[in-house]
Amino acid sequence: MKTVTFALAIAILSQVAGNRLASAQDAVEIMSKSHLAYYYAGNDGMSEVNMKIVDKKGSERVREFAMLRLDTEDGGDQKYYTYFRKPSDVSRIAFMVHKNSTGNDQRWIYVPSVDLVKPIAADDKNSSFVGSDFTYEDVSGRHWNEDSHTLVREDAVDAKPVFVIESTPKKAYKGFAKRISFIDKSTFLPIREEYYDDKGELGRVLRAEKIDVIDGITTVTVRSMENVKKGSKTTVSFTSIKYNIGLKPDLFAERYLKNPPRDYIKQ
Amino acid sequence: MKGSLTNLSTRHPWIVIAVAVAITLFFASQFPKIKIDTDPENMLPEDSPARLFDLATKSDFNLYDFIAVGVVTERDAFNPDLLNRIYRITSEIAEIDGVMVEDLLAPSTVDDIKQGDAGALVIEPLMQSEISSQDEADYIFSRIQANPILRGKLASDDRKAIALFVPIESKTMSHRIAKEISALTERLGGPEEYHIAGLPVAENSFGAEMFSQMAYSAPAAFAIIFLLLLLFFRKIVVILAPMVVAIMSVVWSMGLLIMLGFTVHIMSSMIPIFLIPIAVLNSIHIISEFHDRYKKYKHKETTIRHSIGELFVPMLFTSATTVAGFASLMTTPIPPVQVFGAFVAFGVLIAWFLSLTLNPAIGILVPDRTLRNFGRADDAHGPMSTFLHKVRDFAANHSKAIIVASAAVVVVSAFGLLKLQVNDNPVKWFKESHPIRRADMVMNKHLAGTYMNYLVLDGSDADALKSPAVVRYMEVLQRDLEKDPIVGATTGLPDIVKKVRFELFGADSSKLAIPDSQDEIAQLLFLFEMSGGDPDDLFKFVTQEYDKANLWVQLRDGDNLAVSRVVKRAEDYLAHNPLPEGVTAQWAGLPYINIEWQKQMVSGMRSSFLGSYLVVFLMMVILFRSIRWGIISMLPLTITVTAIYGFIGYIGRPYDMPVAVLSALTLGLSIDFAIHFIERLRMIVAREGNFLRAYHEVFEGAGRAIIRNILVISIGFVPMLFSNLVPYVTVGLFFLSIMIVSGVVTLVLLPAVAVAMQKQLFRKLPSPAPSDARAETR
Repeated sequence: MKTVTFALAIAILSQVAGNRLASAQDAVEIMSKSHLAYYYAGNDGMSEVNMKIVDKKGSERVREFAMLRLDTEDGGDQKYYTYFRKPSDVSRIAFMVHKNSTGNDQRWIYVPSVDLVKPIAADDKNSSFVGSDFTYEDVSGRHWNEDSHTLVREDAVDAKPVFVIESTPKKAYKGFAKRISFIDKSTFLPIREEYYDDKGELGRVLRAEKIDVIDGITTVTVRSMENVKKGSKTTVSFTSIKYNIGLKPDLFAERYLKNPPRDYIKQ
Repeated sequence: MKGSLTNLSTRHPWIVIAVAVAITLFFASQFPKIKIDTDPENMLPEDSPARLFDLATKSDFNLYDFIAVGVVTERDAFNPDLLNRIYRITSEIAEIDGVMVEDLLAPSTVDDIKQGDAGALVIEPLMQSEISSQDEADYIFSRIQANPILRGKLASDDRKAIALFVPIESKTMSHRIAKEISALTERLGGPEEYHIAGLPVAENSFGAEMFSQMAYSAPAAFAIIFLLLLLFFRKIVVILAPMVVAIMSVVWSMGLLIMLGFTVHIMSSMIPIFLIPIAVLNSIHIISEFHDRYKKYKHKETTIRHSIGELFVPMLFTSATTVAGFASLMTTPIPPVQVFGAFVAFGVLIAWFLSLTLNPAIGILVPDRTLRNFGRADDAHGPMSTFLHKVRDFAANHSKAIIVASAAVVVVSAFGLLKLQVNDNPVKWFKESHPIRRADMVMNKHLAGTYMNYLVLDGSDADALKSPAVVRYMEVLQRDLEKDPIVGATTGLPDIVKKVRFELFGADSSKLAIPDSQDEIAQLLFLFEMSGGDPDDLFKFVTQEYDKANLWVQLRDGDNLAVSRVVKRAEDYLAHNPLPEGVTAQWAGLPYINIEWQKQMVSGMRSSFLGSYLVVFLMMVILFRSIRWGIISMLPLTITVTAIYGFIGYIGRPYDMPVAVLSALTLGLSIDFAIHFIERLRMIVAREGNFLRAYHEVFEGAGRAIIRNILVISIGFVPMLFSNLVPYVTVGLFFLSIMIVSGVVTLVLLPAVAVAMQKQLFRKLPSPAPSDARAETR
């Protein structure tokens, strides 16, 4: 009797362990696919962006900018160029990020009123992006290797079947202690992400508000980030989206900060 | 009325007692519903403009009240050990429930704006992690010194003090959070001193300590009064009645207050302390009278009826004047003072009513045999009698000198009144030895100040505050305000603009100025947000729409007088240097709210006091049916008020909230002795038809009762003099001085006036000349 019980226990345990292993592998694969679908669509891309920041009192700030992106390598380095249009007193501010998948990013800003390009520190990827509820990392992506992932369950969000993945940073990170991602099974786009702090409290929620197919690529065209604790919410809408337009790496050089590339950015 | 009430009580004592007990139990049953509110802000009505604006400012700029934690050491505070301890304490403080973590200001949480590698602009926390070397500690200090937004606020220039500012969700949590922080610093701190200061802590802790103080002071006063009465009358059964009357009037009025849904505020918590002595006063007169007459009649009911018969009118008037004094507080514009006045007035009425009903009812039940030896045992030979006779003769023999001396006292006091300084500061409601008071002194000596006021500039239109003219105006205004020694620091939008500009241009000090173009200001602030600056930090100083800006004016002194001086300074500046077109300025913050309600209080108390003074005078004229007697009866009150407040003026003690409210008590109490004395002097003169005999007798009856009252009340409040809370000491001192001054004036000046003006005052009497009175008393 005892031996039978023991054998059964071994069997069950190995089964559970095997499942866990399998699900961990699946989870990492899902997250890498999702990362590529979300942050590396096409070889490059451009769009006009409208960003609306609403604080808990309901007062609203709007930023409008054009954005160019060029992937050096899928899942690896990227270059971003941002040209501000509104508010009008900050129009012509240009901002460039060289995302370095193995080290610190590099960031530069051009301040037109004093005609000066200034490098700005990029150590803290968790800081706010232009005062919104998005962080720099939300904009350019956090590499899937930095977190451990577990497939918690399969579920449905808005009638779309999703994988529910729980991610925890491998190294202690102040951005979040746990993230739950709801990944669309067909497009691998994140439909929803929940960020929890070290007390297990929900801090922020990302939502894909609108999804369209552009140039054959399924794209989240409206996304929002709600800061549950602060009661604020930022909604970002992308328009005039184009992919694979053939951006050249030299567009992402310091001199273009002062004079934006006219072929892509109309002033 | 007096007859029927007393008859009812002496005939059906058990019914009267049963009804009184039933009502008392009913009101006592309301006590569990008590709602406590210790926020001095509620001294202003909720919809007062100053409070509404303060609330709007807090919401516009996401501001919270804060607790200031000071770390002070005799040696250098900037060493790795101490900074690491503060680092750990800060992270634990962040875990406390109710602390607004995002807004916590400490070396490990505030952002520094500086030059990074390759001329990059860096915004990052001043102290990112625990440190290991003295160099790192020195670097942190140098960064604080280099940042006008932090300098003097986070650390003292002499490196001996570091401050943490802990914003809290609600002021009402500050006492609890302060205690939790104390526990933390106790556990994690080293040899350095930790201090916890700030108005919210002072105000909230005062509330907490006040109730423990009440729980000790009221029973202590009660016990002492009981013992003194026992000493005078020697029979517990006899003094039981007044004590029961006192307790019942307290229970009824507090019960009603709670039942009607009023909160028990700092003021209303003092109701028992005010009611107990007032309630006992009447009873002492009754027992005194009973005590002194019982020997004569040897019959309880007759004695009771006679005592009450003689005392009914004076008691009615002493109660009515006290009611008038406290009820007048209802005309002040300060809700807690109104409630306090109304319910003390109610309690006094109840005490009066119970003295006339419950007192005799209990008295009639006392078996005759227990009263066998009761009566004026010390008759004409006890020490009190000897003393009274001396006073009596002194007044008669030196009447003119006494009158002249009294006039001199009034004149001298009047000059003192001119020196009265209106001032208050909730922190100073604690004695100097109290930790909150010490924290206040130490931190404000070393750092930029624990009192925070806000000056809000409203530009009406969006982006108005990005205008160079407006930002520059603010900058110059800041420099002007900082000229006042109590302004420890000012922080505002100009500081951020200048600091970002300075760092943008590679720490070029020639760029440490407000730029000329609006776009540049806008872009500098945008740069701040782009480079990792927390937008929430920025929006503590300006709204997101840039239509309003908030200048933080940090003060080292929370005295209303000092705060008013700074407010006045700003007003003068604004008057001489008109604000840019379309911009208005307005103050917010707790210190400002305190000066606002103080203004209301001072003018409110003045008119309420003058009003009730007039009412009391009219009552006296009606009571004595004589303007002349009315004026004379006002002498003890007038002299007591001018002497006490004149004295306060001379010693430089500020005229604060408790002192102001106590004018009602002074008014209500110091007229009482005069009423008893004059009413009974006139009654006896009418009965005996002889001034001299009446003059002697009034000292035996009313005089003795007055001395007993003075002793009972003034000694009964001695425990309050040892309180840790200054307002309680003040109340104790007032009871003491009201009793002594008005008692002395009544027993010395009034007889002197009566003797000196005998002819005019008792015209109908064929009385002997004053010289005869003098001769006989010798």
